[in-house]
Amino acid sequence: MIGTIVLLIALAFSIISMVMYYLSFKGYKNTLNYARISYHAMAMLVITASTLLWYLLLTHQYQYHYVFSYSNNSLSTGFLLSSFWGGQEGSFMLWLLLTAILGIVLQSYTSKRGNLEQRVMTVYALATTFLLIMVSPWFKNPFEYIWTTPIFIDIKSINSSFLGLPFIQQFLFTDQSSGSNLIQMNTELHQLLSNAGISVNQFIADGRGLNPQLLNFWMQIHPPILFTGFAMSTVPFAFALAALMKNDYRDWVRQSLPWLLAGMGILGLGIMLGGYWAYEMLGWGGYWAWDPVENSSFIPWLVGVAGIHTMLVQRKSQAKGGFGKFARTNLLLCIFTYILVLYSTFLTRSGVLGDASVHSFVSPGMLIYFFLILFIGTFLVIGVGAIVYRWKYLTDHTQYEEGLLSRELALFTGAVVLIASAIIILVGTSAPLFGQSVDTFFYNEMNLPIVIIIGLLNGLSLLVKWKDTKKEDLIRKILPSLGAALVISLLIILLGGINEIMIMLLTFSAVFALVVNSEIAFKIIRGNKKMLGAYIAHIGIALFILGVIGSAVYSNETDVDLVKNETKNAFGYEMTFIGWTPIDNNTKYAFNINVKKGNSEYRVSPVMYISDFNKSLMRIPAILTLPTQDLYISPLSYDDGNNNHDHNTVTLKKDSSIYFNDAKITFVKFNMQAEAIAKMQAGEDFQTGADLLIEKDGKKEKVELLRKVISGNVEFTSFISEEMDLKIDLVNLSAGDVEIELSNLNGMENQLTQPQQEILTVAASIKPFISFVWIGVIVMALGFFIAVLRRLPESIVKSS
Amino acid sequence: MKNKYIFGGSIIVIFLSIMIYLFTQSNIQYKDDFSQVMNTNKTVKATGVWVKDKSYEIDKENKTFSFYLMDDQGNEMKVIYNGTIPNNFESATSVVVTGKYANGYFHAKDILTKCPSKYENQDVQTSTM
Repeated sequence: MIGTIVLLIALAFSIISMVMYYLSFKGYKNTLNYARISYHAMAMLVITASTLLWYLLLTHQYQYHYVFSYSNNSLSTGFLLSSFWGGQEGSFMLWLLLTAILGIVLQSYTSKRGNLEQRVMTVYALATTFLLIMVSPWFKNPFEYIWTTPIFIDIKSINSSFLGLPFIQQFLFTDQSSGSNLIQMNTELHQLLSNAGISVNQFIADGRGLNPQLLNFWMQIHPPILFTGFAMSTVPFAFALAALMKNDYRDWVRQSLPWLLAGMGILGLGIMLGGYWAYEMLGWGGYWAWDPVENSSFIPWLVGVAGIHTMLVQRKSQAKGGFGKFARTNLLLCIFTYILVLYSTFLTRSGVLGDASVHSFVSPGMLIYFFLILFIGTFLVIGVGAIVYRWKYLTDHTQYEEGLLSRELALFTGAVVLIASAIIILVGTSAPLFGQSVDTFFYNEMNLPIVIIIGLLNGLSLLVKWKDTKKEDLIRKILPSLGAALVISLLIILLGGINEIMIMLLTFSAVFALVVNSEIAFKIIRGNKKMLGAYIAHIGIALFILGVIGSAVYSNETDVDLVKNETKNAFGYEMTFIGWTPIDNNTKYAFNINVKKGNSEYRVSPVMYISDFNKSLMRIPAILTLPTQDLYISPLSYDDGNNNHDHNTVTLKKDSSIYFNDAKITFVKFNMQAEAIAKMQAGEDFQTGADLLIEKDGKKEKVELLRKVISGNVEFTSFISEEMDLKIDLVNLSAGDVEIELSNLNGMENQLTQPQQEILTVAASIKPFISFVWIGVIVMALGFFIAVLRRLPESIVKSS
Repeated sequence: MKNKYIFGGSIIVIFLSIMIYLFTQSNIQYKDDFSQVMNTNKTVKATGVWVKDKSYEIDKENKTFSFYLMDDQGNEMKVIYNGTIPNNFESATSVVVTGKYANGYFHAKDILTKCPSKYENQDVQTSTM
């Protein structure tokens, strides 16, 4: 309750702050201080509410719906803290928290740069207002009590000493499909409990817990970083609008560049941390699957990075006296970076992608859906509307003369190519909104030429000068790099056995970018280190592309059946399964495999377990990281040799046999008489049969099992022989196949005659040079941050 | 100046046409009516529920996993997937399979399982306790 009230007061302060900042911008005196105080009050209240949510999670206050749904008693402190963003309500809360804190920094930053503060903070407070409405009681409030919306709670989570209460009976339900007993928690039960002097927190002893896929180290790091990137993308939007409000397009470029650089650095890092998480934990086998969730955060990154490049051109061209080139482009890109972040939230949180059918929303989702549309719509109308309104002022009439070989044009082309890539991914990711969907080859095929161009431009743009470059100069400068790049890529192509022309080009373009950037970086490393940012970021990209080539194009996968203590070879690795050990209090099983490569020996342990949370088999891969490649071992199944599986059905094709208990069972033929067909077509009762031949101890027996359709219901017959100690149940008959269930009569499960051996089946794959992917991203992010250090002092412009 | 627009314009046109072409090539439609799924030879995403009464089957020899899927109208089809049983399969409320229907089976190259995150939308029957 307190949490909700705190958030509502914060909402009020956010609105007051926005209005006061706007009035201050309009020239009303004595409003600026109120605006500042209100903003800070809002931020403090949001921090208070977040702290409260953390406190509720740490102290297991299960009377709150959110705490019950996303945490439980067995979570460690680290996971309890990160269950804060385990669900939708909390992830909006995290986004709000980071945006609010960032706003304090932004307020201080803008207050030191002319009369920027009023305009920027008006827009920024609008963003916090929307986020605060999102977590208000009408939408995704993390402080909702558990009984507000009726919810079914597994009886195991209830404190058993209260189950004897007389009124509990009427809230007890049984789920027939899973056989579990549930208590329906609603206002009525809450009333009865409080009449009996029992608090809901006492009544509910344990929470539902976190989805096992989230129980990973990176859960504690990836979401906060990603949401910091999201929060930071609000800032360039606010700067762009501030420029449009004042109708002054000169200074905002320098002022917002450090924010855009830092934001994109953090967002890029956040996205790839998610990729690493998927690689290490989820067993996707890779770090990128063109999954909508990944794509939708990648699109704003591409647009933001495009913006960085054209903003550099605008800043440089301001030397002529005007506000510079590409003013419209830059405003649009900064505005769309944020709008695409909002769109990403819409795609992943509104449920549009959650289900294959676009039209199946549950009622609470419908409200969120419309609110998110309103959220995006408002910012889209304000942003694009302001540009249209100012359109005629946005042409700089200063004359610029630059040649084809100018850095301006190279940077602009780079931005165009990045935007093209963003459009491709946007189209593919939005397709489900229209009941369509694209295969991943759409993304791969479309982006491949784009990445080649990016690599080439990446190198070329640094060799050409601003304004224009003499052809001879360029040729003289480019030849050594070109030569070195050709030699290195030829080596890679030959050693790697690359035979696809596009991959050859891609390799060359990445190597070219790497050579050019390394050369320049090496030259200036002794000079002004702050200038290194761009080169380091570009080296990062080049390394990343090389890592992608190695790990994606030359990845190799095979399934291996590892019989216990028998050595098998895959890709030159000698693998021996040596048995399993229970881990984490016997809840999970580590399957230990000795891996030998050359003279080195390693031990890897993929993990499998049945999760209590979703009653499903979970698999965690094991990764052996070696200098040149990763060996990725994903567990598929484990057979303990006893063959007592839940599903002991066998499918037999015509004339095929199976051995069971020393009996050979052969499917001879399918019996379907013309009479049966006629009856079937007439909708009458009919039967079809399967002839089986059973051979055991020299005896042969012919058996016919029937599939009967009696008044629309299907029945199957069984065969039981005490002599042979055999029971065969017909499970299904379909075109050409018979499906039977085999068991023996003394109740033991079936024993398909196989030697008793433990078999672990794994999918083993090698990922050459995947480390380049991670190193590349880290280097790239580092480059962004060095660039921030360079651009930050430049952002202090004399008030104009 | 004019040349610039013609040049830029034609690049945009080429780009868009390649994109539209590839989009139609890689386009996969969602189908929740299996009678349509069975009558097309295109790759589709079929949505349905796993028929729990007919247990699934894991073929270790051929490394396939198969089960029966039923749509809203009650049409059933057998799905064969070249791979192992996906995580969360048993608890899935609905299953989306991507692939083609041929020779009496739906050959899935991808399985997406949707799991109930809450009991709210699940049919819960009253017990007579």
